[in-house]
Amino acid sequence: LKVQDCHVLRYVPKEESGGKTAKLLVGGKNVAPFSKPESAHQIFKEAGVPRKQKISTFNVTDDAIIKPGTPLYAAHFRPGQFVDVTAKTIGKGFQGVMKRWGFKGQPASHGQTKTHRRPGAISTNKASKVYPGKKMPGKMGNVYRTSLGLKVWRINTKHDIIYVNGSVPGHTNCLVKVRDSKLPTCKEHNKNPPFPTFFADGDEKLPEDLFDEEIFQFTEPSVTYT
Amino acid sequence: RAGSDGQPGKFKPPPKPVIIDKEKQGVERRFLSPEFIPPRGRKDPLKYYMERKDMIQRRKVCSIPEFYVGHVLAVTTADPYANNKTNRFVGICIQRGGRGLGATFVLRNVIEDQGVEVCYELYNPRIQAIEVLKLEKRLDDNLMYLRDALPEYSTFDVNMKPVSRLDHEEIPVNKLQVRMKPKPWSKRWERPKYNIKGIKFELPESKMKEAQKWSQPWLEFDMLREYDTSKIEEKIWKEVNKELKK
Repeated sequence: LKVQDCHVLRYVPKEESGGKTAKLLVGGKNVAPFSKPESAHQIFKEAGVPRKQKISTFNVTDDAIIKPGTPLYAAHFRPGQFVDVTAKTIGKGFQGVMKRWGFKGQPASHGQTKTHRRPGAISTNKASKVYPGKKMPGKMGNVYRTSLGLKVWRINTKHDIIYVNGSVPGHTNCLVKVRDSKLPTCKEHNKNPPFPTFFADGDEKLPEDLFDEEIFQFTEPSVTYT
Repeated sequence: RAGSDGQPGKFKPPPKPVIIDKEKQGVERRFLSPEFIPPRGRKDPLKYYMERKDMIQRRKVCSIPEFYVGHVLAVTTADPYANNKTNRFVGICIQRGGRGLGATFVLRNVIEDQGVEVCYELYNPRIQAIEVLKLEKRLDDNLMYLRDALPEYSTFDVNMKPVSRLDHEEIPVNKLQVRMKPKPWSKRWERPKYNIKGIKFELPESKMKEAQKWSQPWLEFDMLREYDTSKIEEKIWKEVNKELKK
């Protein structure tokens, strides 16, 4: 996952935002400012940052507030941490009930008349209505979904790349939101992160590649068993 | 020899033979392993660049020799359940697939009348050594038809000695025409879509003509399918060489 020009755009204190904690608006990839009206550029002008393609909110505690305009880097995460990744899934369009919900359909032969991929019965006689939320054909995909508990194996500070375990929703080159995992089993692994974030102009100088302890590095000799 | 005026002419020595010594000329043969070439797609080239860096790192530790489909290789991998903790497999390379770190090659051999194919990943950390025992190219890129050929074409001695070879010579192309077992085969190799030149088809003419019905002669003129890799190969060749020499 590549971290491309992320900047903090705005700080929303707890009282103004609807929820229990303060919010930070973060903007993603840089994009040309010409296709949007001037009113949309307000946030970016205040932060002093070019127009971003995507803005997302993060709920933050008061001790983790960052000044608007600071860039965020991949070194914000460390190998060994667990991460939740949210993105819009690939849009499949209007899909039938077998692909969308995994229904079994009907047999292909043995006298079936024009019924091979249909849902069959949709409700009972006694109910005399269809329950709201009944699984039926409709538009599938193009929805925000999260894959939880993905381990971070490697971080490249030079190109700002996070190597994450497993698969992530979305098509190639789509924008993705990466957060610390909310799973209770991952809480102890996520302790001691760079807090509130990794500052590039700070004292810490990181090597180009950060690896997890268990991962095989290509500079080591071939694996042998004893 | 008689001259133009009938008298025996002055002795002209024969022209000296010109010997091109390839060793001294130092003509380098360029070989870029096919897994370095990125496939055509919409992915960010940065991803392929990072993969190539990792591949070069691994090649510095465990050298991967130049080999094509049709070479006979011996691969030693680390095996926790074997006696010596190593496992050595000898076989002919049937196909090379995959790009990047997931590049694979399939080795085939017939051991005690049982055909065995093993698919190895080139950059697997458990592989300890890859030796080329016999160098020869074949007429095809994909030798999957050896599964339907007579087993004698896939048997190779497990304790074969590596055939010695000079560095600058061209890799010989073996124009062997393989004889097949009787039909049915796993795939219809006579069809033009596989474009196989290394089989001696003993089928009747009518069958060969019928197989040509599935030919798609317009495919070679399809411009959207063209993927010219020469420029990409040049860049990647320079990059890879620079890194490997460090």
